Amino acid sequence: MITLDRLTKRYGERTAVDGLTLQVKPGAVTGFLGPNGAGKSTTMRMILGLDRPSSGTALVGGTPYHRLDRPLRTVGALLDARAAHPGRSGRAHLLALARANGIPAARVTRVLERVGLATVAGKRAGTYSLGMSQRLGIAAALLGDPEVLMFDEPVNGLDPDGVRWVRELMRSLAAEGRTVFVSSHLMSEMQLTADHLVVIGKGRLLADAPLSRLLAATEVVVRSPHAGDLADRLTAAGLTAVRRGENELVVTGATVERVGDLAHEAGVRLHGLSPREPSLEQAFQELTAGSVEYGVTR
Amino acid sequence: MAAEWVKLRSIRSTWLCLASGVVVSVLGAITLGGAAAMESEHVQATEPVVSVILFSQYAAIALAVLAVTTEYASGTIRPTLQAVPVRGRMLAAKALVVAPVLFAAGVLTGAAAALATYLVLLAPVFRSAPALAPAATAADLLRLGVFHALVGVLAVGVSAALRGSAGSLAALFMATLGLPLLLVMTGVPAAVEVSLRLPTFAGMAFLGSTDNLTGGPLPYPPGEGLAWLAAWTALAVAAGYAVLRRRDA
Repeated sequence: MITLDRLTKRYGERTAVDGLTLQVKPGAVTGFLGPNGAGKSTTMRMILGLDRPSSGTALVGGTPYHRLDRPLRTVGALLDARAAHPGRSGRAHLLALARANGIPAARVTRVLERVGLATVAGKRAGTYSLGMSQRLGIAAALLGDPEVLMFDEPVNGLDPDGVRWVRELMRSLAAEGRTVFVSSHLMSEMQLTADHLVVIGKGRLLADAPLSRLLAATEVVVRSPHAGDLADRLTAAGLTAVRRGENELVVTGATVERVGDLAHEAGVRLHGLSPREPSLEQAFQELTAGSVEYGVTR
Repeated sequence: MAAEWVKLRSIRSTWLCLASGVVVSVLGAITLGGAAAMESEHVQATEPVVSVILFSQYAAIALAVLAVTTEYASGTIRPTLQAVPVRGRMLAAKALVVAPVLFAAGVLTGAAAALATYLVLLAPVFRSAPALAPAATAADLLRLGVFHALVGVLAVGVSAALRGSAGSLAALFMATLGLPLLLVMTGVPAAVEVSLRLPTFAGMAFLGSTDNLTGGPLPYPPGEGLAWLAAWTALAVAAGYAVLRRRDA
């Protein structure tokens, strides 16, 4: 559980994080969304005690980070993939962190295996690709088997396999009852990973809601020779289906997958099924419009 | 502390610094020792080793600076502080690892340089056989260890305050060599007095060096030299701690 109470960070005149109050709950993946410069990383750094808040508090499990006795055993975080000394081996990097928090060396080997770096653990971190560095950072986060995990843009630089791996890792960590807080500026990525979304812009909280509620804005276009039957079926499932043309429906409030599944269950043949903008991406853009730090003037 | 030890030994620059310290000390001591043995009958083999610290101390300083600044340069400081969020503890751990490493390095490097000097001075071109009196040698070596440890901790403090490698090294170079020489060159008695109490000369006084740049023994006892050196070290660590506590990582 992460608790922020009116958390604020000012750099001179500029307010990077502005009175953020929210809770990140265990057992779920909470996506932390916002355009570049919205204050996501600063917020995470304040939670970790790296930056000092100008006012307000950030607590992890009810305790300020710097009061945690062996913090890596409570909170694991990946802030920056390139945070290992380039001349130090991946194993030594993790071993140093383990030693600082009384974590046995065997655990280092375990997490290296879990992230798939066991074979290159003895190589200097400077020789790692961005994807491998990202995995090393994730290994560091997992090191203390912590209750709370935070990842800042974890899929940056990963190939499609790596992206899927991170997604599954986060889902499984949440399924184990841990608190998983993941930042991203990619709405589409969060759509696949998160249960709950926190959206900020210019340091202010814009939305704090379950994914499904933010998804309500999604529209799915479905074509079927039995559009009428399908519309009844979808309406019965609590969705809104609007007839458009003879065999086309516009469905709001569900994902493509859900609409497809419902059609399958009803035994209705489909000739087309596609998401339609405005989707979550658009909802996100609407939410953050006017708060884009480095936006282009149109 | 165990963590800091892993970090220190797992990068090449640490070993390069120690190795270059040995090279500078051995070659420097042989040169100075040889020059001394050309003129004088009696040369204690540790004497040139003590004189050469003027240069060899930079190996210790570089090691200590890099132990701190590479954390900032590589971004490792964030994982480090995530593991040890109490800043004072992190700084103390660094100092407490650097100090014994440099103490051992100072003793061993000094021993190697003294032995090399002794062996070279046995050559018949020199006027007399050199001395390596056990008691005096042991005392000198211990003091060399203490000197290097203190200079290293001083460098840890300065680099924690400045964070950059180049800036830290430049500042330390000025404090340990540039400024004292400048002050001596002014010839103003008060400036010379101040200069003699800056870390390098204080260290030389502590080491009992009689042959220094001001051309004579230092005007105060070795114990006072140690006190001045320790005071500068404490000041540097306090400055480093103050910055570390206040600034965002």
